[in-house]
Amino acid sequence: MSYFNFLMKFGYRNIWREPKRALIMILSLSLGTAYILWILNFAEAGSKEVIKEFLSQYSGSYQYTHPDYYPAGNTKKFNAFATIPAAEIPSEQKINAIPRVVAPVFISGNKKTLGVLLNGTLPEEELSLSKLNSSVKYGRFLDPKNSNEIIIGQSLANKIDAQIGDEVALIGQALDGSVANDLFKVVGLLDFGGGDLEDSLSFTTLSSAQNFFVMNSDQYHQYVNFDMERPAPASSTLKVTTWHQLLPEISVSIRFIDGFTKIVCIVVVIVISLGLSNTLMISFLERQKEFEALNIIGASRWWILGTLIIEVFILGTVALLIGLVLGHIFTIINFYYPINLEIFTNGKPMFLGGMLIHPYVKIFPVAKYYWQVSLLIYLFLILSMIYPSYKIMNRGKNAV
Amino acid sequence: MQFELKNVSKIYETGQENITYGAKDVTLTIKEGDFTALVGPSGSGKTTLLNLIAGLLIPTKGEILHKGESITHMSLEERTTHRLDYMGFVFQDYQLLPVLTAYENVEFPLQLKKIPKQEIKERVLWALEQVGLSQLKDRFPKQLSGGQQQRVSIARAIACRPSLILADEPTANLDSKTSQEIIDLFKKLNSEHNLTFIFSTHDQRLIDQVKTVLYINDGQIAEVKEHQ
Repeated sequence: MSYFNFLMKFGYRNIWREPKRALIMILSLSLGTAYILWILNFAEAGSKEVIKEFLSQYSGSYQYTHPDYYPAGNTKKFNAFATIPAAEIPSEQKINAIPRVVAPVFISGNKKTLGVLLNGTLPEEELSLSKLNSSVKYGRFLDPKNSNEIIIGQSLANKIDAQIGDEVALIGQALDGSVANDLFKVVGLLDFGGGDLEDSLSFTTLSSAQNFFVMNSDQYHQYVNFDMERPAPASSTLKVTTWHQLLPEISVSIRFIDGFTKIVCIVVVIVISLGLSNTLMISFLERQKEFEALNIIGASRWWILGTLIIEVFILGTVALLIGLVLGHIFTIINFYYPINLEIFTNGKPMFLGGMLIHPYVKIFPVAKYYWQVSLLIYLFLILSMIYPSYKIMNRGKNAV
Repeated sequence: MQFELKNVSKIYETGQENITYGAKDVTLTIKEGDFTALVGPSGSGKTTLLNLIAGLLIPTKGEILHKGESITHMSLEERTTHRLDYMGFVFQDYQLLPVLTAYENVEFPLQLKKIPKQEIKERVLWALEQVGLSQLKDRFPKQLSGGQQQRVSIARAIACRPSLILADEPTANLDSKTSQEIIDLFKKLNSEHNLTFIFSTHDQRLIDQVKTVLYINDGQIAEVKEHQ
C-alpha cells in the first residue's frame, strides 16, 4: 500500500509541476468529453423526437394488418376490406388505437381525376393521438358531426383544381363489389411540405368512409401509436408491421444520422488525443534527463513508463469526471429547455420523409453513453500514450 | 564486495573508419572501503569508466564482474536491478526529483526496492542524519541550496546501503566551502561506515584527500597513486 501510495503521490505531483499545461490538458479533455456526451444524448433524443413527431402525424409505431389484407403471393395488390374489428386488437393496444378505414379511390376536381388513398377516421380520437390536424394549413379539420367532408393535400388540390368549399367526386370499389361514388366537400388542405404524401392522402370521417364503401360500423382498420421503445404485443392472427418496415427511408435516415454522429464523436476524440499526445510528448521529452537519472538510480524503463501512465490516467480521470458532469449539466439544461431543431433551418420546419415536422428536442441522459464515453476516453488516452511511450522506451540508454 | 574490470575496452564509432576508445584494456579491482578518484582531462574516459562499472554501458571487449558474477552479460533490466541493489549514485547536478521533498527523494530508491514502510522510515532518517539534513527533510529541492541538494543526493545514494557509490564530478557545481563540506562528508561515510566510493573529479582538494587516484588518459589507466 505504501508503494502504491508513493506511486500515486509521485504521479499526482508530476501532473502539477506545470500547472498551466495540466489545466489546459484537463480543460480540453473535459470539454471534449462533455461535448461528446451531450452530442450523443442529443442525437439519441433528437432521433426519438423526430421519429415520434413523424409517426404521430400519420403512420403510427406499428400497424396491425388482417392476414387477408395482402392476397397470398402478391403484396402489391391488397384487399382494402380485410378489416380488423376492435376485438381482434391485443388489449394493451386498444388505448392507443384509432379505428380507420383505408382504401384507394379516384378523386375528381374541376381539372382532372387522380388516384388517392381515402382514410376514414374519428376526428376527435385522431386529434388526441396524432398531429394530423396541425398539418391542415388552410381551412379546418374534419367535423365529426358532418358527413362527406374531406381534407386533401395542397398539392393534390392544385393538380385537380379543388378549392376549400368545392365539392369533389370520389369513385371507388365498395365492399360488396359495387361501384362506390359520392360527392365530398373539401374543408381543409394538408401541408406535408409538398412531398408524395400531399398527392396521395385524403381524410374523411369514419362513418362517411364506411357509408361510402358500404361497410358496417364495426368494420375498420386500427391505427396504433404508442411508445416506440415497447415491443408490439403479439397477436395470434394479425400481422404486425413496425414503423421501420412501414417507413424504411426514415429508418435508414435515422440510422445514418446516428452513425454519422458517432463518427463525428470519434473524430473529435482522435483530434483531442492527437493534441494530447503532442502535449504529453513535449512534457515527457522535457523530463528525459530526469528519466535517465531515475534509470541510473535503479528505476526500470517499465517503472518509469508505469508512472507516466499513472500520471496520464489520473489526469484523464479528473478530466473525464469533470467532462461527464459538464455534459450531464448541459443535457439537463436542454431537458428543461428543449432545443428547437428549426434553429438549424432558419426557423423553417424540417422536411423529412415527405412530411414537415417541427421537433423540439428534449435532451435526456442516456446511461449507456456515460460508460461508453468513459471507455472511449480511456481508449484514446492509451492511444495518445503510445507514441510518447515508444519514444521514452527507446531513447537515451542513459549515462551518469 | 568486489568489482573487477578485466581487460575492459569500450570503442565508440564516430565515423565509418574513425573509432575512439572510451576505455582501453582497463583492468581494475574495487574493494570494500576503497576511496578512489578518477582523474584526467575532459574526454579522457573517466565518465565512460564509471558508466561501465555501473552497467550503463556494455564493454566492447572484456568483462566486468561483481562478486564473481558478470554484469556484462546481464540484460538491461537485470543491470538496472543490479544498480538498485548494489550501487548508489551522486550526480554533478544532483538530479533530485523536484516534485518530491528531501525525505521523499531519499525514500525513492527504497520504494523501488519495495522495502517495508517502517524500515524505509528508519533508513531515510539515518541517511538524512548522516548528511546533516534531518531538520530540512520536508523541503523541496528548490527550497534548498546547491550544497544541501548535493547532501540529499548523497543521502539518497547511501540509504540503500550500497556496495559502491559512484559519483560524477560531485563538487563541480559547488563553491569551495561547500565542496569541502561534501568532501568531508564522503570521508566520514568512508571511514565510519566503510562505504566504498569511486568518483571522477577535477577538484584538486578532493584528489588530495582520497586514498587512491587513478589517472586516466585516452581511456587507459595511465598512473595509480596511493595516498597514506
